[in-house]
Amino acid sequence: MVLKPPSRVELLRGTLDLLILRTLLPGPSHGHAIAKHIQRTSEDLLQVETGSLYPALYRLEANGWVAASWEKSEKGKRARYYRITPLGRKQLAREQSKWDAFARAMGLLLKPAAGEGR
Amino acid sequence: MSSLFRKFTWWAQRRRKEEELREELQFHLDEETHERQADGVAEDQARWAAHRDLGNVTLVHEDTRTLWTWILLEQLGQDVRYGLRTMFKNRVFTTLAALSLALGIGANTAIYSFMDSILLRSLPVRDPASLVVVKWRSRPFNMAATNGSEFVMHSIDGRTYRDSAGTTAAIFPFPAFERLQQTSAPVLSSVFAYFPAGNVNVMIKGEAELADGEYVSGDFFRGLAVSPAAGRLIIADDDRAGAPPVAVISMGYSQRRFGGAAEAAGQPILINNVAFTVIGVTPSEFFGVDPGAAPDVYLPMRANLLFDSDAARLYLDQNYYWVQMMGRLRPGVRRAQAQAALAGPFEQWVAPTATNDRERANLPVLRLEEGAGGLDSLRRQYSKPLYVLLAMVGLILAIACANTANLLLARAVARNREMAVRLSLGAGRLRVVRQLLTESVLLASLSGGLGILIAVVGIRVLTLLLANGQEGFTLYAELNWHVLGVTLGLSLLCGVLFGLAPAIQSTRPALMPALKDRSVSEPRTSLRGRVPRLSLTQALVVAQIAISLLLLVAAGLFVRTLSNLQSISLGFNRDSVLLFELNAPQAGYPESRVAAFYADLRRRLSEVPGVRDATLSHASLIRAGRAYPITVDGQPTRGTRILYTGPRFFTTMQIPMLRGREIAEGDRQGTLPVAVVSDLFARTNFGDEDPVGRRIEVGGSMRVRGAPVVLEIVGVAATARYGGLKREIPPVVYVAYAQVPSPQLEEMTYALRTDGDPLRYVAAVRQIVREADARVPLTNVKTQAADIDQTINQEIVFARLCSAFAVLALIIACVGLYGTMAYGVARRTSEIGIRMALGARGGSVVWMVLREVCVLAALGLAISVPIALGTSRVIQSFLFDTKPNDPATLAFAVTILLCAALLAGYGPARRASRISPMIALRQD
Repeated sequence: MVLKPPSRVELLRGTLDLLILRTLLPGPSHGHAIAKHIQRTSEDLLQVETGSLYPALYRLEANGWVAASWEKSEKGKRARYYRITPLGRKQLAREQSKWDAFARAMGLLLKPAAGEGR
Repeated sequence: MSSLFRKFTWWAQRRRKEEELREELQFHLDEETHERQADGVAEDQARWAAHRDLGNVTLVHEDTRTLWTWILLEQLGQDVRYGLRTMFKNRVFTTLAALSLALGIGANTAIYSFMDSILLRSLPVRDPASLVVVKWRSRPFNMAATNGSEFVMHSIDGRTYRDSAGTTAAIFPFPAFERLQQTSAPVLSSVFAYFPAGNVNVMIKGEAELADGEYVSGDFFRGLAVSPAAGRLIIADDDRAGAPPVAVISMGYSQRRFGGAAEAAGQPILINNVAFTVIGVTPSEFFGVDPGAAPDVYLPMRANLLFDSDAARLYLDQNYYWVQMMGRLRPGVRRAQAQAALAGPFEQWVAPTATNDRERANLPVLRLEEGAGGLDSLRRQYSKPLYVLLAMVGLILAIACANTANLLLARAVARNREMAVRLSLGAGRLRVVRQLLTESVLLASLSGGLGILIAVVGIRVLTLLLANGQEGFTLYAELNWHVLGVTLGLSLLCGVLFGLAPAIQSTRPALMPALKDRSVSEPRTSLRGRVPRLSLTQALVVAQIAISLLLLVAAGLFVRTLSNLQSISLGFNRDSVLLFELNAPQAGYPESRVAAFYADLRRRLSEVPGVRDATLSHASLIRAGRAYPITVDGQPTRGTRILYTGPRFFTTMQIPMLRGREIAEGDRQGTLPVAVVSDLFARTNFGDEDPVGRRIEVGGSMRVRGAPVVLEIVGVAATARYGGLKREIPPVVYVAYAQVPSPQLEEMTYALRTDGDPLRYVAAVRQIVREADARVPLTNVKTQAADIDQTINQEIVFARLCSAFAVLALIIACVGLYGTMAYGVARRTSEIGIRMALGARGGSVVWMVLREVCVLAALGLAISVPIALGTSRVIQSFLFDTKPNDPATLAFAVTILLCAALLAGYGPARRASRISPMIALRQD
C-alpha cells in the first residue's frame, strides 16, 4: 500500500459526480483528462481515484446525465469522450446549489463569530 | 422502468461493453504512462506506477459491470455452477443426501396422493358441497332375533354399520324414497336413488364380458348435474315400468368396447341377455357417487324388472331396505335445516311400517350427511390404514431431513478452511452465506426432482400392492401436485435451514486458527468428558436411531401378524389349485339347464391333461359365508354354515374324509338329497355318535313349497377353514348344488387341482368354457393361494411396506451414524495417533470408537423404547394374534438396530485403528 501524501484531501462521498459534471461543462473530455483536470484545478489537493472514476462515469451515463462516444484524441488515439447532456446540466445546477448550501452551513458552524468563545 | 430497460439492452450487448471498458482503461493507462514518461521516469517504471495508481483493474471492471447486469443473477449463475461442481466432486455425499431426501419426499407424496383421492377429494360434479347423503340411525338391535322381529328392517340388500351406540345405514325401502321425493321439495332441489347392480353380463358384437353396473333413478344425473359426453343421460321418463330399455355407459367403457363415446351412442347391446340401447356416455372424470366403485354401465332403476319378473314386489315392500339416496340442498338451505325438515315426514312414513311394539320402540331416524365426497365406503375401509402409513412416511421424511442436515453440518465443518480462505481473500460474508445456501437449495431441488420420480413409481407400486390382482379394483390415485409442493417445500426448507446454520457458523471462524489447522476450532468431543455433551450432529443421529426403532417395531409387529395369518392351518391344500368364477344364469341360461351346464363343464375340465381333479362350489372356501336355519332332530343348530359343492370337492381340495363318502356325480336332482358334514358339526351336534345315515333339516329360504329340505348325512370330513382367516371356523354342512334348490345359486367357483403352476392352464380353461358357451365370461381367474392372500391383503401390504420403510429408515440412520463417526475419526486423527504412539493397541482404539456408537444408540433407544411402548396400541386393530407390546418383537428390533449401528460404526473404528502414528503426528 502506498500512503498518500498527507496534504491531500479525501473526496467527500457523492461529490465526485458533481466534479465530473462541472469538469464537462466547458466541453467533451475523456476519463484521463477529467481526472487530471480535477487534480490540477484543485491544486493537487483532490486526488481522483481512478478505481471510482470509471464506475462513476458509467453511472452518470446510465442516468442520462452524460453521453459517451468514441473519438480521436489529440494524439490520434481512439478515446471515449464524455459530454454533458441537458439533463446533466439540470442535475449539475441542482447539485451545485445543494453543495453551496452545505458549504455555507459548514462555514458558519466552523468559523465562530467574533466575540464567541472564551 | 427505464433502468430496467437499460439493463436489458446493456446486458444484451455486455460483451461489447466489456471490450469498450477494457479499451478505455487501457487508454487511461497509456495516457498516464505517457505523462509520467514526460516527467522523466523510465518507461517500465512509469507503466508500473500508472498501474498502481489505477488499482485493482478487475475490481473496476466489477464495479462498472454492476451497472449493466443483474449482478445477483450473475452471481447466482456462478454459485450454481460452483455448487454443481462441488456436488459432482462429492458424489457419495450428494447421492446419499439426495437419495434419502428423495425417498422421503416420494413416499410422502405417494401415500398422501392416495389419501387425497380417497379421503379428501370431492365428486367431479357441479357444486359438490350442496350434495347430501341420506342415512338413518337407530339404537342397537339384533336382526337375527328368533322370538319375533326387533327392527322394521326385515330384509336387506346392502350394508349396515354397527358401533357401540347403534346402527347406521344408507339403505331405504323404495316407498321411503317416494315419500321423500314428494316432501323434500322445500329444502332439496332434487333427491335421487341408486343401488349397485353388481356384475352384469354385457354382450357387445358377440363378445360377452362382465361389467360393473349401477341402477339409478330418473333424477340421478339431473340431481348430480352431470352433462353427457355423447348422446343423452337417463331421465325420469326412462325410469318407469315398460319404458324402452336404455343404458348409459362410462367414458372408459365406451372407449374400451366401442372405441369412443361418439361410436357408442345409439348402439344396441345385450345386458344379461336383454336387448338395450346405449343412449349416452358419461364424461370421463365422472365415476358415479362412490369413489370406491366406478360403474361401467348405468341402467334405469326399473330395468331390473326386465331381468327378474319378481322384482316388482321390491318396489312395494316397506320392510325391505335396498335403495340408497342422495339429494341436493336448495341454495341457502343448510344441512341441519334440511334434516330437521325431512325427519318428520320420514318418521310419519316409517312408523306405520312397524309390525310390533318392539319395532315401534326403536324406529330409524333420518340423517343427512355431507355428500361432497360421495359415499364413504372407501373412507371407512382405508382411512385408518392410510393414516398409519402416512405417519410412517412422515417419520421417514424426518429421518431423511435429519440425515441431510447431518451431512450438511459435517461438510460445513469440513469446509471451514475453504470458508476461511474465501473470507480472508476479501469475500463478503453475505456472499459466502449466499453461496452455501445456493448449494443446499441445489441439493434439495435435486432430491425434489428424484422425489417426483419416486412418487410416480410409488403410486404405481402402491396401486398394484393394494389391488393385489383383484379384478375391478377402482382405487386410482393421481400424483397430487399440492402434496408434491408441500413436500418439496419441506425439503427446500430443510436444505435452507441446515444449509444456513452451518453457513453462518462457518463464516464466523477465527480465521487464523482455521487457516493453520483444521482441528482446533471444533468443539471437543464427548468421549473423554464425564458428562457427555451432544453436538448437534450427535443429537441428530440419536433422533434418527430413535425413529428407526419405532419403524422397526411397527414392521416387526406387522410381519408377525402376517406370519401368524399365513401359518393358520387351513384344513385343505392351497397349492396348485386354479380358481375361476362363472355365472350361467346371468348369461341367459334358463334355471332348468343351469345345473346340467355346470356339471358338463366340470366333466370337460377334469379331462384337461394335467388337471388331476375338478370341482365347483358356490364360493371359494375362504370367501364362503352362507347360513340357513338347520335343525338336527328338531333342535336348531348354532352358527352352522352351508357350502354348495359339486362332485369330488373333498378330493380336489384334499380335505380328508373321516367317515362315509364324499358327494359324487350320482347325487343329482331326483335322488335323495345328501350332505357331508364337517367334523366340528358332527362333534357339536352328535357328540360321539356316528352321524352317517342321520338326517338334518334345512329351513329358511331353502324350503321347497313351504317344507324344509331333508338331507341325509353320507360322510364326515375333517374340519377345514370356511370364511376369512381371522374368523373362527364354523360347523359346516356341505350339500350338493344339483340336489338342493337355491334362490341365490347363480355364480359358481370352479376349482382345478393341477400338476405344476395352475396359471399354465388358464388358456386351456378359457378355450373349453368358450366352446361350452361363448356367452358365459370367465371372471376372477386366480390361484387358491392368491385368493387367500387377497383376503389378508391389508396385512400383506402393511408387512411389506413397513418392512421396506423400516429397512429404509435403518439404512438412512446407519448412513448418518457412519458419516458422523467417520468424520469424528478423521477429525481426531492426531489424537488417535498420539494414543497409538503412546502404546494404545488397535483393539482399544476400535473399542473407543464403538463405545461412542453404543452411547449414541443407547440414547436413541432410551428415547424411543418408551415411545414405542406407548404408541404401539394405535395399531392394535391391525394386528392378529400379536400383542402391541410384544416383547419378542421389541427385543428383535433393538437387536437389529444395535447390530446395524455397530456395523455402521465398525468401518470408521477400523480406520481409526489403522492410523499410523507417524503420519498422524506429522500432520501438525
